[in-house]
Amino acid sequence: MENRTRALKNFKVQCVGISKSFGEGNEKKLILDDINFGVGDEFVVVLGPGQSGKTTLLNLIAGLERPSTGQVFVDGEEVTGPGPDRGLVFQKYTLFPWKTVMGNVEMGLKLSGMSKKERREMASYYIDLVGLKGFENSYPHELSGGMKQRVSIARAYVNKPKVMLLDEPFGQLDAQTRYLMENEIIRIWQAEKRTIIFVTNNIEEAIFLGDRILSLDGKFPGRLKTIYDVDLDRPRDRADTSFLKIRQRITEETMLIL
Amino acid sequence: MAISKIENKTAVKIALLEFLRSKYILYAISLILFIIFWDISAKMNGRFLPRPWAVLMELINGINEPIAGKILIVHLWYSLKRVFIAYAIAIAIGIPIGLLMGYSKLINAWIKPIFDLFKPMPPIAWISLAILWFGIGETSKVFIIVLGAIVPVILNSMNGIRLIDPSLYHAIRMLGGNSRQEILEVTLPASLPAIFAGLQISLSMAWTTVVAAELMGAREGMGFIIIRGMSVSNPAMIVGGMLVIAVTAWLLSVLMTLLERRICPWKTELEH
Repeated sequence: MENRTRALKNFKVQCVGISKSFGEGNEKKLILDDINFGVGDEFVVVLGPGQSGKTTLLNLIAGLERPSTGQVFVDGEEVTGPGPDRGLVFQKYTLFPWKTVMGNVEMGLKLSGMSKKERREMASYYIDLVGLKGFENSYPHELSGGMKQRVSIARAYVNKPKVMLLDEPFGQLDAQTRYLMENEIIRIWQAEKRTIIFVTNNIEEAIFLGDRILSLDGKFPGRLKTIYDVDLDRPRDRADTSFLKIRQRITEETMLIL
Repeated sequence: MAISKIENKTAVKIALLEFLRSKYILYAISLILFIIFWDISAKMNGRFLPRPWAVLMELINGINEPIAGKILIVHLWYSLKRVFIAYAIAIAIGIPIGLLMGYSKLINAWIKPIFDLFKPMPPIAWISLAILWFGIGETSKVFIIVLGAIVPVILNSMNGIRLIDPSLYHAIRMLGGNSRQEILEVTLPASLPAIFAGLQISLSMAWTTVVAAELMGAREGMGFIIIRGMSVSNPAMIVGGMLVIAVTAWLLSVLMTLLERRICPWKTELEH
């Protein structure tokens, strides 16, 4: 434990000796086992099939769940609960339906007690950044899936979190919108760099987005299997030979059926 | 030239058919047929069923000719006043009780058995007890209307809180909200559409109950008009009173729908 902690010391996000189980007694089920990794100022993708515990892992970093053993640190401080230093983007959008786009994006600033004028200004900047200028007064039910997820990204970004956590954010979108949004998240990230941990079950998406890919085992309990470095220049071309080579390698090694 | 004439004729025909099929035309036809059927039935048995025309005349007379010392609109106002007072009391008591029952399992466990015992009881069954307790005046009527109106308010406020998507709480926590902000920014707005649905049901319950309460021992109000019509053997007065009651109920529900659209503009999402 001591050594691991020291080895991960320089990372912004550190997961040290994490395991997580749900249930009691005979019903007890181990979801994650012996997870150790660190994330620096980079775009990291956690790749795993369904039932690999990847969403649970993200919830542990978010603080919505507590690990059964081990600890999560963000900037050296242990995570003990949810908080605005981590920005979470949910798979199911989870926007506040009674708030407009502006109301959703400025919510974090409002909760922190910022004055109306200031937070309007800041929220406007991020609404513009995610490409929703002109939709400030729309309600979520008036927006498409891709637009809702843009709002969700802006709502997390505006708090200037130390790390952005994205939980299969494009999983509910149609294929075309998904490609578009993958390009968009890279554009947004390059305009304002943050540490990003992005969870997906899609190998192509993982390679297109990540500086590094942490691959989880399928079937419970999820264990960290391989870490891939993706040394491709951006913008990446999904049909490029080097892209396809990595894709082939990961596919074979994870035995995921594409 | 000849062809275009034929085409024009067909176009007019199609437009006419379409016009006849539009639902408002069908509504109108349905109503007119009903009134004709009513008129024929009344003609055959004029003693107990008034003809539509007689009802209309009765209503017009009611505008300035007093019934038991008050004109029709004043009677309507008495009924509405009772409804509004009782409705306000039902809201003021019902919403907090419902919200607390939805929010706290402990409070729910205390209140639920008592609530379930009284819930299925028709409010009008309380009338004898109410008159014993409060006499024959306003208090007993308001009491009964409150009993009828409060049930949907409590039920919907409770379910409104219970059915909130838990991930909305996660979202507000991740954005830095504390428990006070959680209630203000999620619990209350998220339960608003359900509470409002309860208020709508409650208002129509209140209106139904006021008429029933006025059937017994009132000297004014729409329920009284109906009883009065019976005691002076004037069927036109009875049917006229019934019509005013129905139209008022309809107007109240329209009013609530408009109000809801203003207060919960996002609610359309739930209806999809």
